[in-house]
Amino acid sequence: MATLFAHGIGAGLPSGFEGRIVKRQGSGIEVANAVAQFSTFALPSDVGDFGGGAVNLMGNNDIFAVLFEYGSDSVGTRLFAHQGMPRPLGTSDFQPHVLRRGLTGQSGTQWFFTELGRPFTLYVVLGSHARRSVLVPRVNRLLEGLTIEPSSLPAVAGVPWN
Amino acid sequence: MIALSVVLSAVVLLLAVLVAGLLRSHADILKALHDLGAGVGDPAGGTLTATSSATSAGGDSFPLTMGPTLAPDRDSISAPPVAGVTPGGDAQAVAPATDGALTLLAFLSTGCASCAGFWDAFRQPERLGLPAGTRLVVVTKGPEREIPGEVAALAAPGLVVVMSSDAWTDYEVPGSPFFVLVDGTAGCRVGEGVANHFSQVAELVRRAEVDAAAFTLGRRAGRDVGIDGPARESANDRELLDAGIRPGDPSLYPTSLEDLYGPPDARMPVAPRHVRRAG
Repeated sequence: MATLFAHGIGAGLPSGFEGRIVKRQGSGIEVANAVAQFSTFALPSDVGDFGGGAVNLMGNNDIFAVLFEYGSDSVGTRLFAHQGMPRPLGTSDFQPHVLRRGLTGQSGTQWFFTELGRPFTLYVVLGSHARRSVLVPRVNRLLEGLTIEPSSLPAVAGVPWN
Repeated sequence: MIALSVVLSAVVLLLAVLVAGLLRSHADILKALHDLGAGVGDPAGGTLTATSSATSAGGDSFPLTMGPTLAPDRDSISAPPVAGVTPGGDAQAVAPATDGALTLLAFLSTGCASCAGFWDAFRQPERLGLPAGTRLVVVTKGPEREIPGEVAALAAPGLVVVMSSDAWTDYEVPGSPFFVLVDGTAGCRVGEGVANHFSQVAELVRRAEVDAAAFTLGRRAGRDVGIDGPARESANDRELLDAGIRPGDPSLYPTSLEDLYGPPDARMPVAPRHVRRAG
């Protein structure tokens, strides 16, 4: 099993997965946060944070998953109220309309949550909604191997109405 | 004159002792090699290979492996994931055996003179001459053996570089530069070796691509067709038409599980009946 660790995120990749854990170059006052991407197909080097340039390469048996970290000012907001990464996922969690880029046959799921003081969104795309009963267990094996380390930054109180 | 003769005799004697010592040492080395199964003129024949057998003092044979040992689930054609860090400090894992395309792993160093030409060549990927769809991944040793800043200075923008000493062990890389070609469809290494110029590597990849296409045409086409929404829909339509299912066919509009899987009785596996025939 290949293992990855960077920017406070660890991943034990199940067989057939590849991935990367990166921090984009920040610009100006923007603070770059961690982005972890995993796939069962070759990830292009210039793929967008949420799979732009990658999801269109997916076959029916492919999976694409993103763990995207937000700024510490999101901690405590309603959107990130869910504590802990949602796992395991069920087949009913995936819907064809939950896609950032709607491609026929695919389906996805997206969750916002906070784990150990770090706000994240988990976005997963299945290459074929019809094969979700086969693909979702593979997604769950991937999620089992993900670890998040506590935030090293002090939490900033979020805006309550956000 | 007598004194000179004595001195010369002493020198000759000293040299004789020295030569005798060297011969003894040489004999000890030959004996040790012979015990390891690599003796010169060994009547058992055979030369020392990467994995050979040796005989202990007790006469028991045991495997002799040169270089780092591979994990039990690895062999000479397996293509395990390459996992490590990037020169920028990110983490990256590439799984060349799972994707349907060809992946060329280029094991390079920052210090070797032969590698410099390849680092330069990778700055112009459009001139490499690799078949379309071939993924190029540069693998250097890990940050404990290479300076990430030097690797970053040599790596072209957009080039996938993974720093992983484990990958060098997994792929039994003898030195740099070294190239390994992995066929993602077959899930194994299909070629590896050393080259002086990238044109030689590109030619080998082209040949491998032709071979792979000849033997795995159906599977490759199946993966390529339908990777995008409309293309996949068209491919599905063609398959349905080939199966005699046209627009409006009732099987396209199931209203119950029975429409999908047939009546309940038909879904149950039928136990074979063993009928014993008389006489």
